[in-house]
Amino acid sequence: MQFTATLTGEAAALARQHGEMLARLPATVHAFILVELEKWPTLFGAEQRYQRALLEHLSRVPTGELDQAVSGIGRIETESGVNRIGERSPARFQDEAQALLRTRGLMVAWRGEVDGFFQKVDPVLEAQLYTADAPRRLVVQIYGSGIAVQRERLWKPFKGVGVRVPLNLEGTETTERFLQRLAGVTEPARGVPALFAQAIESPLDAWIVESHEALHAVCEATGPASLTGLSYDRLRPYRDDLTRALNRKIQSGVESPQAFAAYARSLRIVPPAGSLPYAPDVLLAFVRDVLITGNGTLLMNNTFVEWAAIQALRRAQPRILVTRYGVRDRLKPFSSMVLFSQPRASDQLPVTRDPVGSFVDVEQLSYYVWLNAEKNAAYRKRTLYLFLAEGVDEMLAIRSGAAIAARSGLAPARLSDVHATMAHWLGASVPNGSGRPIVDILQ
Amino acid sequence: MRGTGDRRLRRANIGTRVENHGLTWRRRDALRILAACMADWWLPRRVLAQRTSAPRKRERRVIVVTFGGGVRYEDTLARDGWVNVPHLTSDLVPQGLVYPAARHEGLTGHFNSTGALVTGSRQNVDAYGSEAPVTPTIFELFRKEHGLPPEEAWVIATNKSFGLMGGSKSRSFGDPYSANVVLPKQLLISTIKAAVSTNAGPGVEDRQALAERMMLALDEGYEGFGWRVYESGRALGAELKASLAKSLLEYFNDPAMPTSGDELTFFMTKEIMNRFAPSLLVVNFWDIDIAHYGAYSLYLEAIRRTDRLVHELWQHAQSLPQYRDRTTLIVVPEMGRDSDVAGNGFANHRSGDESCRRVWLVAVGAGVPKGAGTERPIRTLDVAPTVAQILGFKMAECEGKPLAELT
Repeated sequence: MQFTATLTGEAAALARQHGEMLARLPATVHAFILVELEKWPTLFGAEQRYQRALLEHLSRVPTGELDQAVSGIGRIETESGVNRIGERSPARFQDEAQALLRTRGLMVAWRGEVDGFFQKVDPVLEAQLYTADAPRRLVVQIYGSGIAVQRERLWKPFKGVGVRVPLNLEGTETTERFLQRLAGVTEPARGVPALFAQAIESPLDAWIVESHEALHAVCEATGPASLTGLSYDRLRPYRDDLTRALNRKIQSGVESPQAFAAYARSLRIVPPAGSLPYAPDVLLAFVRDVLITGNGTLLMNNTFVEWAAIQALRRAQPRILVTRYGVRDRLKPFSSMVLFSQPRASDQLPVTRDPVGSFVDVEQLSYYVWLNAEKNAAYRKRTLYLFLAEGVDEMLAIRSGAAIAARSGLAPARLSDVHATMAHWLGASVPNGSGRPIVDILQ
Repeated sequence: MRGTGDRRLRRANIGTRVENHGLTWRRRDALRILAACMADWWLPRRVLAQRTSAPRKRERRVIVVTFGGGVRYEDTLARDGWVNVPHLTSDLVPQGLVYPAARHEGLTGHFNSTGALVTGSRQNVDAYGSEAPVTPTIFELFRKEHGLPPEEAWVIATNKSFGLMGGSKSRSFGDPYSANVVLPKQLLISTIKAAVSTNAGPGVEDRQALAERMMLALDEGYEGFGWRVYESGRALGAELKASLAKSLLEYFNDPAMPTSGDELTFFMTKEIMNRFAPSLLVVNFWDIDIAHYGAYSLYLEAIRRTDRLVHELWQHAQSLPQYRDRTTLIVVPEMGRDSDVAGNGFANHRSGDESCRRVWLVAVGAGVPKGAGTERPIRTLDVAPTVAQILGFKMAECEGKPLAELT
């Protein structure tokens, strides 16, 4: 299949370099790779490294072996007629191929073959991309104040994984103090907690993702934050713009869900200045994708946090990720039934909050963030996960790939000790030695 | 109805009192009176007279209710899920038969999974409802074999894409034998859209005005909402219209309701049962699909609501002489949803993993052994031929097999 891809720079060079191998691949796999290369400027470093490794690996595989590895995909393409599609744009080809596979009832079989192919390829690439001596990673998930935490059900979805560490919360009664103690000293020049500053090379290496603004406020205490931050609340003007555009489209008529999705992808609205502390093009594209392609991310703050976190882990693979969930609003009568509708200025439908439902939600969502991180070779066996709830005097600690001995009678740890534990894990020093690492977690 | 009093009612605000002719009414009273006016207007006596020539009713009746949107076994019939389906586990199962090991086969989209349920064969048509099922539905087979009028078979669905669920593409069947299909939520959504699309008018706060707007919208053509009603051509039959008016107004009476499409489906189902007593009803509750928003609590809340509505529907059937002791109720999830570990979690149903396929089936009522259960694996495809045996019509070739315990 001869495709006409719009490629520039390194992506064009890669396509040229591996052109012979690409031409041997089944059209759907060929198109998938070209679509990724077309997105090159909006791919994160980790994604670019994966694509390079994939192309190099496939070019190294002997012709006969590669043909054999993709034969199942090719067979389904022939059976479905995908190989007779004349579309030369890889993206449009992909859409047509998917539609045809669905129509012919071969989508599940095709997906099975593609999964099978990548299940063989990915372990090879992962061994190359994520070596055993790669730096350790940290994922912290916080339930914000206001969520009606039920202590007897807290972190139940984890089904006993990890260890509960008692906490001494003295002097951390407010959200601000809680987060300040946890984050430690903020480096004045960089607007980022000092322990993060020591562990990252680029703002894209440390992410904070939250429903409200408290984490941002802590990081910005001494100046603009130089990390990657996503706040559902701060993105409100952007969400409203997207919502209005989508609603206008719905009102004017949509011929199919696929056409609606294509319209959403075509929107070129960007977040207004100031809504993101760090806003390179790759992040603007990321935020747009999260809001448009994630179910519920435009409508539910905690869903946004979860989906953005999962996508960040999968795509950007930051060394540090901190999420903070909050209380979500209840659905509004009437207007919540019409997707993307907004109440008129004259409609005074009251907004009410749902602290109890929010707890049920975040229990599941934080669990999914952890599950997804553990599916990712970048995080498996090298990540410390900490789960905290503001105002709750215990935390859950999970070390990927290593059991933490559950010792009874652990002395309550202060948040400064938790801070020191994170710093020790990341290989950062603790200013003034104010806290002591929790040895049971680190051993 | 269309005079000064109506205009005054139209101005009434939700949650406030309605001033009229010096009297103070509560909103509920005002709506009741409005409902009565509507029913009188739409229900001329001659329509009732026509009903005397209707064909004789079948003795048995079947109501199939789906937990539409799909639910996971672990969130419902597994031990930890019982808290979400208290009526099913405490009220219905002890009266009936439970198959805990049911399986959905085929595509895991809404239209195709319910399509498989009503045809007994896996379907592979447009997932968003622009195509009818390929093989004959139970509605067509039932009506054709017994020469029954359209009001004997109904689909009442919250899922707005189910407009073509009542009949198949099959050349020997289709429209002349299809079920009536009403999509209450789609009517509601279209009306809300119209109400919020302009800054003129009362918007959505005035529920009474919204209810009137919905009835006017029906006057302009129900097909625009995806409904297919075969009773009397493009115009809704007077009797049906009166039923819809009553159910709409009952729905709007409850201040908490207008976030739930299923409550409206429930009200309409009851009214259709009251007025037409159809022998075959398929009711699709679909609030559960809010799971796609990623809010687990709303998904569980919708499961609990569906559980309650199913029970109330069964109680309603027991209160009607046309249904009592002659009705079999079959309750089954449309499909499962993804597992946490192997799939994408409760929010989706696209992985095709086992959690997406593992469901259950509960039957209660006429011909069903009480307080029984069987671990025998069954398929949701078995529902259609089972309905055929209960109602006494021949099932065309299909993949499912009748459930011997129910026939």
